[in-house]
Amino acid sequence: MPDNEATLEIAHLVRDFKPADGDLMGALHAVQHHYGYVPKIAMKVVARQLRLSEAKVYGAATFYSEFRLTPPPETLISWCSGPTCRLKGGDRIRQALETELGIGMGQNTPDNKLGLHFGQCNGTCEHAAQLWVDGKVTGPLTAADAVRLVRNLKDS
Amino acid sequence: MPTFEELRQQGQAAWAAVEKPERPRFVVSINTSSIAAGARETYAALEKLAPSLGFDLMQTGDDGITWAEPIVQVRKPDGQHVLYGNVTADRTEAFAAAAVKGVAQDHAVGVIHGSAEGVPMLWDLDWAKMQVRWLMYNCGVIDPESIDHYIGRGGYQQFIDAAQMSRDDLINIVKGSTLRGHSGSFFSTGTKWQFLKDAATEPKYLVCNADEGDPGGWVNRVVMESDPHMLIEGLLIGAYATGATWGWIYLREEYPLAYERLNNAIAACRERGILGEDALGTGVKFDCEVVRGAGAYVCGDETGLISSINDERGMPRIKPPFPAQSGVLGKPTNVNNVETYACVTTLLRVGAETFSSVGTEANRGTKMFTLSGACEKTGCIEVPFGIKVNELLAGIGGIANGRQFKALQQGGPLSGLLPASIAGDLALEPEPFRALGVGMGGGGLIFLDDTHCVVDLNVMVAHFVEDESCARCTTCRIGNQRMVEIFERTARGEGREEDEGRLTQLFASMVFSNCLHGALSPTIARNTLQYFREEYDAHLHEHRCPAKVCQGLIKYVVVGNSPALAEAAKICPDHIAASGPQPDTDGRCSRGGACCDVAPGDIAVEDRYTDIVPLRVIAPADVARSG
Repeated sequence: MPDNEATLEIAHLVRDFKPADGDLMGALHAVQHHYGYVPKIAMKVVARQLRLSEAKVYGAATFYSEFRLTPPPETLISWCSGPTCRLKGGDRIRQALETELGIGMGQNTPDNKLGLHFGQCNGTCEHAAQLWVDGKVTGPLTAADAVRLVRNLKDS
Repeated sequence: MPTFEELRQQGQAAWAAVEKPERPRFVVSINTSSIAAGARETYAALEKLAPSLGFDLMQTGDDGITWAEPIVQVRKPDGQHVLYGNVTADRTEAFAAAAVKGVAQDHAVGVIHGSAEGVPMLWDLDWAKMQVRWLMYNCGVIDPESIDHYIGRGGYQQFIDAAQMSRDDLINIVKGSTLRGHSGSFFSTGTKWQFLKDAATEPKYLVCNADEGDPGGWVNRVVMESDPHMLIEGLLIGAYATGATWGWIYLREEYPLAYERLNNAIAACRERGILGEDALGTGVKFDCEVVRGAGAYVCGDETGLISSINDERGMPRIKPPFPAQSGVLGKPTNVNNVETYACVTTLLRVGAETFSSVGTEANRGTKMFTLSGACEKTGCIEVPFGIKVNELLAGIGGIANGRQFKALQQGGPLSGLLPASIAGDLALEPEPFRALGVGMGGGGLIFLDDTHCVVDLNVMVAHFVEDESCARCTTCRIGNQRMVEIFERTARGEGREEDEGRLTQLFASMVFSNCLHGALSPTIARNTLQYFREEYDAHLHEHRCPAKVCQGLIKYVVVGNSPALAEAAKICPDHIAASGPQPDTDGRCSRGGACCDVAPGDIAVEDRYTDIVPLRVIAPADVARSG
């Protein structure tokens, strides 16, 4: 999409957010909800809308780990980093995922099909150790289950 | 706008239809935990069966019985009310047929009202007996998306009552109740409200801290997903008491369902004139909105949270000025967490006298806790302050699989790690924890058993606090980086003798961080040296992980050759051969021991270093590097 077209689209997305009203998080969420990430051009548009400097918007967007600055993969595998998952073998699952996919945490496979995301505990600890496949809680899993899950996703 | 009396009558009629149904009514718990267990699929399956079997269907929030999700309650016209568990979608057909006709014995957990042969009363179960359901009064009872249900069960009456008192009387009731912030800080709520009321500048703001970042705790989620109006009513009461006119609920990104339900509740309140220019004709002007965080733990600190609402990086700042002097947009602001606001509503509902009859001298009332880890039953409970950890543990079925209770990790990664011998007799209220130099925290209780490794947990915690540091204070930023390195190398068997001294130095210096995140980061590490010395020393000096968890200290050895080994070879082709032991592998598994999950009988987990390896001589270069 050409920049001017994207600018218009983002300006439309964030049109209701006001300066000095606690709206920056809302604006960034609106952009991420629409595109799946916060494109670079959005920083400029959001900054203009909220009367902030671009640096401030970029600073905030990079502070929060849930804002992505690059397009998401087709299927996002979030790994729960919580303590209950850790006790139940979460770190073994992480090793299994990274080896099986050949990527590290926070990276996507070269074909952009699968990506690994560092998830924060959402309190569904009865399913520990767990993964969220595109947001859907999957667990309890062993490292072997995780290997099988990833292989199925790779083949699908 | 309707008057409160009209809303009340409408609400009571709606609630009566639930309580005294004309035909069987199935109530499905829909919350983040149950959705993970497949409750949405259960609901859809029941929806298909409803017309032919002749029952009505309704959703509810979370009653805390996470261990038996998906949960369906069945209310009958004769008053019988039974709670069923483990109703997965594939079992709905047999379940619904049995439950409509009589009782579905296979799924029955307990009877809530009436009687059913062979099924115990729910509130006689060990799990339930110790509980007092005040904050959770509506949890798992009403439809969280129905304001009528909430009002029908007495909702918003507390606000009406409060608005008839003088603001000083109201604040005095809150002060007199001993209510203190339930997030873990335990600072007097009434005093905080007084600060805001006395602030000279206007407008004033309320903020609800719903950034429940402590991993392993989800009490606020239960309230927001099950009873969002209780929180909004608490905010309204606070608004009247302090003179605040606008509120923000700062909600963490990980709770999308709570976001949906809070927004639904706020919209319903605006429609009925409960939020707006003149709340229910009382003259109170107040409205609020939800702001979503984006995965920053440190925004749970009140000044970090305020920075985040102020369009900035969510970095805590130095106090003073305190939020009551200069908070959101530079205006006087009061920050309480979800449970605290809900507790104000509760206090007015049960009355100050009843409220003070429960709990301990210093801490009246109840506290919600979430239980996870090695315990038999995972879930959320509400108990009076002062209950012993061991009593609570007994009520939830003890430690699972007949293992030993080893340690308690309470209240998030900043609060501490206590051995069972000390934690077991501890009363659940802030003071006994403080006396040990740790915190009780916001309500998460994680139980460890003897198969868990505390050094491994420290690696996780160190990574967490390092990652979530806002990086303003050198002590926190660099101190936590060093802690990660120390625990990582200890877990690999490369710990150094001088590490202990370095850790002690870190403990002493990190307390000088500006906010509590930095100051409390080393708590669990300190507790580890204090209480789990033997285990730490085994890692450090013998390069041995007693629980055989730390991957760098164990090896996977093929010892059998059953058919399962072929399957293991498929999972881990790089180091397991289907034909049996390979002479040249070094026993490392690049997939975290997935092979052993598949063929536990054929692959043994053994210590990697069997003879004590002498510690490395400290090279001067090393000392210089880690300074």
